[in-house]
Amino acid sequence: MGTSVQVTPLCGVYNENPLSYLVSIDGFNFLIDCGWNDLFDPSLLQPLSRVASTIHAVLLSHPDTLHLGALPYAMKQFGLSAPVYSTEPVYRLGLLTMYDQYLSRKQVSEFDLFSLDDIDSAFQSVTRLTYSQNYHLSGKGEGIVIAPHVAGHLLGGTVWKITKDGEDVIYAVDFNRRKEKHLNGTVLESFVRPAVLITDAYNALNNQPPKQQRERDRDFVDIISKTLEAGGNVLLPVDTAGRVLELLLVLEEHWSLKSLNFPIFFLTYVSSSTIDYVKSFLEWMSDAIAKSFETSRDNAFLLKHVTLLISKSELDKVPDGPKVVLASMASLEAGFSHDIFVEWAADVKNLVLFTERGQFGTLSRMLQADPPPKAVKVMMSRRVPLVGEELIAYEEEQNRLKKEEALKASLIKEEESKASHVPNINSSDPMVIDANNKHPSLDGQHGSGYRDVLIDGFVPPSTSVAPMFPFYENTSDWDDFGEVINPDDYVIKDEDMDQAAMHIGGDMDGKLDEGSASLILDTTPSKVISNELTVLVKSSLIYMDYEGRSDGRSVKSILAHVTPLKLVLVHGSAEATEHLKQHCLKHVCPHVYAPQIEETIDVTSDLCAYKVQLSEKLMSNVLFKKFGDYEIAWVDAEVGKTENDMLSLLPISTPAPPHKSVVVGDLKMADFKQFLASKGVKVEFAGGALRCGEYVTLRKVGLASLKGGGSGTQQIIIEGPLCEEYYKIRDYLYSQFYLL
Amino acid sequence: MASTGQPLSLKRRDAPLTREGDQLTITPLGAGNEVGRSCVYMSYKSKTILFDCGIHPAYSGMAALPYFDEIDPSTIDVLLITHFHLDHAASLPYFLEKTTFRGRVFMTHATKAIYKLLLTDYVKVSKVSIEDMLFDEQDINRSMDKIEVIDFHQTVEVNGIKFWCYTAGHVLGAAMFMVDIAGVRVLYTGDYSREEDRHLRAAELPQFSPDICIIESTYGVQLHQPRHIREKRFTDVIHSTISQGGRVLIPAFALGRAQELLLILDEYWSNHPELHNIPIYYASPLAKKCMAVYQTYILSMNERIRSQFANSNPFKFKHISPLNSIEDFSDVGPSVVMASPSGLQSGLSRQLFDMWCSDKKNSCVIPGYVVEGTLAKTIINEPKEVTLMNGLTAPLNMQVHYISFSAHADYAQTSTFLKELMPPNIILVHGEANEMGRLKQKLITEFTDGNTKIITPKNCQSVEMYFNSEKMAKTIGRLAEKAPEVGETVSGVLVKKGFTYQIMAPDDLHIFSQLSTANITQRITIPFAGAFGVIKHRLEQIYESVESSTDEESAVPTLQVHDRVTVKQDSDKHISLHWTSDPIGDMVSDSIVALVLNISREIPKVVVESEAEKTEEENGKKAEKVIFALLVSLFGDVKLGENGKLMISVDGNVAHLDKQSGDVESENKGLKERVKTAFRRIQSAVKPIPFSAP
Repeated sequence: MGTSVQVTPLCGVYNENPLSYLVSIDGFNFLIDCGWNDLFDPSLLQPLSRVASTIHAVLLSHPDTLHLGALPYAMKQFGLSAPVYSTEPVYRLGLLTMYDQYLSRKQVSEFDLFSLDDIDSAFQSVTRLTYSQNYHLSGKGEGIVIAPHVAGHLLGGTVWKITKDGEDVIYAVDFNRRKEKHLNGTVLESFVRPAVLITDAYNALNNQPPKQQRERDRDFVDIISKTLEAGGNVLLPVDTAGRVLELLLVLEEHWSLKSLNFPIFFLTYVSSSTIDYVKSFLEWMSDAIAKSFETSRDNAFLLKHVTLLISKSELDKVPDGPKVVLASMASLEAGFSHDIFVEWAADVKNLVLFTERGQFGTLSRMLQADPPPKAVKVMMSRRVPLVGEELIAYEEEQNRLKKEEALKASLIKEEESKASHVPNINSSDPMVIDANNKHPSLDGQHGSGYRDVLIDGFVPPSTSVAPMFPFYENTSDWDDFGEVINPDDYVIKDEDMDQAAMHIGGDMDGKLDEGSASLILDTTPSKVISNELTVLVKSSLIYMDYEGRSDGRSVKSILAHVTPLKLVLVHGSAEATEHLKQHCLKHVCPHVYAPQIEETIDVTSDLCAYKVQLSEKLMSNVLFKKFGDYEIAWVDAEVGKTENDMLSLLPISTPAPPHKSVVVGDLKMADFKQFLASKGVKVEFAGGALRCGEYVTLRKVGLASLKGGGSGTQQIIIEGPLCEEYYKIRDYLYSQFYLL
Repeated sequence: MASTGQPLSLKRRDAPLTREGDQLTITPLGAGNEVGRSCVYMSYKSKTILFDCGIHPAYSGMAALPYFDEIDPSTIDVLLITHFHLDHAASLPYFLEKTTFRGRVFMTHATKAIYKLLLTDYVKVSKVSIEDMLFDEQDINRSMDKIEVIDFHQTVEVNGIKFWCYTAGHVLGAAMFMVDIAGVRVLYTGDYSREEDRHLRAAELPQFSPDICIIESTYGVQLHQPRHIREKRFTDVIHSTISQGGRVLIPAFALGRAQELLLILDEYWSNHPELHNIPIYYASPLAKKCMAVYQTYILSMNERIRSQFANSNPFKFKHISPLNSIEDFSDVGPSVVMASPSGLQSGLSRQLFDMWCSDKKNSCVIPGYVVEGTLAKTIINEPKEVTLMNGLTAPLNMQVHYISFSAHADYAQTSTFLKELMPPNIILVHGEANEMGRLKQKLITEFTDGNTKIITPKNCQSVEMYFNSEKMAKTIGRLAEKAPEVGETVSGVLVKKGFTYQIMAPDDLHIFSQLSTANITQRITIPFAGAFGVIKHRLEQIYESVESSTDEESAVPTLQVHDRVTVKQDSDKHISLHWTSDPIGDMVSDSIVALVLNISREIPKVVVESEAEKTEEENGKKAEKVIFALLVSLFGDVKLGENGKLMISVDGNVAHLDKQSGDVESENKGLKERVKTAFRRIQSAVKPIPFSAP
């Protein structure tokens, strides 16, 4: 029997909720993707919480919230501790996306689901792989090989291939077949007949007009430049480090071409580090980008027309006038895009240009409705420093806590070190964020004083709350010979030089932008105040598809090409899922599943197989015929055993039993027509048949559309009167096939 | 198993060797018992791979090339380049553009980016005559289009050859290639270093043990000093020379080690403010261009540089200024100059050397491996006099220091690396003959188990090995519904893709492969005006089974011959034949066509029953004659023996053949088999088609 495979969706089936699926292969549990949405609703993660502890490995496919957003929370709250596998860009950009999410959220709410430290520790256990790297799992997963392949949707985006005993399980969601400016198209089509394919129905009903990429780009920049020329501003709500890269390149190219002077701003909390990292990810991008770097060392992401901003105040300082702003979040639920939208929506000249469908239930989805709402209610929240009584109350509370702390510390000072210095004041005033957590503040000026400090590489430990220097009791041990010395103190370290240099570098995770760092360093007590207001939407709202996913038509044609033995559909509205299921049942394979949340389906292949050794004696008699990548031959063999009890095939001793001859080949009528024409035969299509010469007709009947089931055999009929031509054409026809 | 044969031409692809398929050949075309022009040819199961394609820096023109004429470049499937150094990559444009090579070339991203800059520079600076030019800039640009990139650990499959690469630690982008052909794994290390330095990672230890390890032996049995001691010696020599008012010349190759040395110098200068007025020059516009590459592919470097990069670019030096040519250089007072080439053959480093060599205050620090035959190698032995570029001799008074920073493995690294991997076969390349010999001896004493073979082939000397590759097939689908017992037969389609075999039923072909099967139905119309009964009668004379019935649709009489061919009387004037294409069907239909045509031509004869019987008897005799004649033509000496058996003798071996049963008796097994097979085939040709055929 084949490898046992079970699939259990944990989130994101029959709707557009975040993606999270449990795939168990011979008892080894993979969690594939661990997504959350921009609303951060913990109830979505209920199914995950029930299985988190049984998971053996986590595979991440894309660096956005929908695919990996819940990782920090799951690691912290559900005891998920399995190793995580992803590509380098998914790791790095995913980390930045989470930072951006956190900082945006923190700005407007008492966000306490996870902290920056949780994000860091969740991403610490990520093993980074390159595309097409066959990674052999060890331990419980012995024999399983995982390999990431190009998905084409986001930078580093992955189609996961999990192989055991020669059977492939492929997880491919949000792939894009089309080659883009910065990404190559997916390689999904190069996999043929995997045992199981898990894919999404997200776009099954979404058929894009067959528009050339160039045309679409032109429309895109036309709309933007028209608005700018009319004196309006353009807001593009974007993701942190995903599709925005493509938009940046489109804009950058157009601006260079037309030498436009309107400023473009890319505003997220992590924009400058995003671009810094992206610059070093050329290996992961399209061939065109790699090539331009190899030949002329032009890094496509050395952006000349785009200014990277990391705080709103910097944008406010920019002189008025038409500008383009790409700001996160795409959902308009929080982040800079939210604030800018509220500011700009009231002006008819302005344009809000959506480049992807908003997540369900978010402001951007509401605005994308047709017709768009005239007015929307939004919650405006901002974080303000405490003043007056509140501040005094807060300080008193802090002092009280410090005193307690000091008292406690003195009691346990014989305990050696640092642990006791972590103040445990998480549970203080709910109005106030304790100073132990990083304190963001909308007011960027608070941070500016700290910036120089950061550049020097001085990062204060997050625990530095006490106004006094930490005091360590230095008790030295004495024995009969005097003070006990630690020999390590006297060893000259080889690595000293390195460490010195290392220190300058600071650690990698310290590489937040200065702006966000200022938020972290800022210890001013603050609180969030919210008020709801109604925004009249007067600005134009336009949706243009730049989401970089294959549309319904191309998904179907890819599926028909891949023809998995079993197909599992996830992620997509109920209608889309049902539509794609029906389509695939008819045209792709007879085994299509679309499980519900927490419904475990068994997609173990009912494939029978056994291994045999091909003896040298047998093989020396086999004559292979070459057929594309394949070589084929007919064998008649007798089963024997080798010394180590393997089945082996030996040449047959009795005359081979006659077998029905097999005609192998795939005849394409159009190709054959050309072939005949090249041989000087007059050919034409007439009434579904190919008329060859004067009398002979050739027909293909009962087109085997259902590849997986059915007979799969082509029926070709050749008819004609007895004449020389008949035999000639028959010979040509035979030349297209191999006979076994 | 392994044997070092005579150098034989590798062009002979179809050598009449019985085990040719299992023979693995490895031939160094360069870098065999020498350093420079790395190029190793490998062939197994008629797949051929070339590792590296370098030139010898001590020679020029065609003489610097590896021995390409030993091979047929058109047969090579894959060419793998480990890193961008000239002795590993510089003959690539020549090989791609000037030979019949049509395979695919792979290198890492960083290697490809630097390769172009480096070779363009090489073409510019090498002052050789036009005839000696191996390639020009156009060739390099064209070659760029043919080179494909591979990322570390990425598995690529070409033509059944699987390969992937590991970090080698030698220079930026340096790779070690692991090649897997039909389960036999070969590791080619290229130049590698197991020591992490200021910007590079140490070479990885492959996850799998290879069957053959082709490993560099540059440093033979030498041991490197610990890195911090080398760095201290280096900075001390420079510091003391400068403080005595001398000049320091560091001849170094533009890329690779130079970046490491600059990192050291820049840091040392930062820590010693008293040196800030002493200029450090780095005379390489090429290296300046390559900085963009160094800044981009930080993912190929170690964690240390990556974390530094987060704050500022570590390759933006504060104390080092570029120098374009000797004209721009004002030689006043102490200075430190790093210039290429590393061997002091010509160019800026040589010009400076000629200027400075007679002053004993000056120093020359040779920071890496120097190739035999270059001036740098000569001065390490500190001769009294040297020959200048202009042909004059001058006293060599400057101090010469040899402090190796070259990122090649030393003996300690090599032996631990090999012990971890435990490859059964080790092939040493890229090392001077003496060093290599010493290394071989020392390794032999280390691997005393006797299972490890260490081979040091010379250029063009082939190493041949045999691998008993077991071919395994997977029987799948309907054919495998139950596992067979010993003695049962298995019949199906054997499908080979790359080196994997699958056996399946023909009906499953489209499920498990991209191949599909077809049924070709033929319908042919023949004019026939006679009675349908005549055809039936005639057919019955030839074929055992002729069934007549009527067609269900058109209610015309039909005949079924052998369940294969249907003859239908379409109208009074036409009959049609229907059948499904296969060899037997085609043959039967052809005979029917011939028969029908004959009937229409001839006047129907009265058929005499007895004649038919007689013919049968005659046929039997005729068949016997034919069998005898065919056997004679096959085996020569065939006699009619006792009790109707045939006696066949070949070279003194005798076989007895029973014509009735087909049994063969013979002392000689081979002959027995052959006679048996021959007889079976003759019989199936002579005897009529049995009715039982499906």
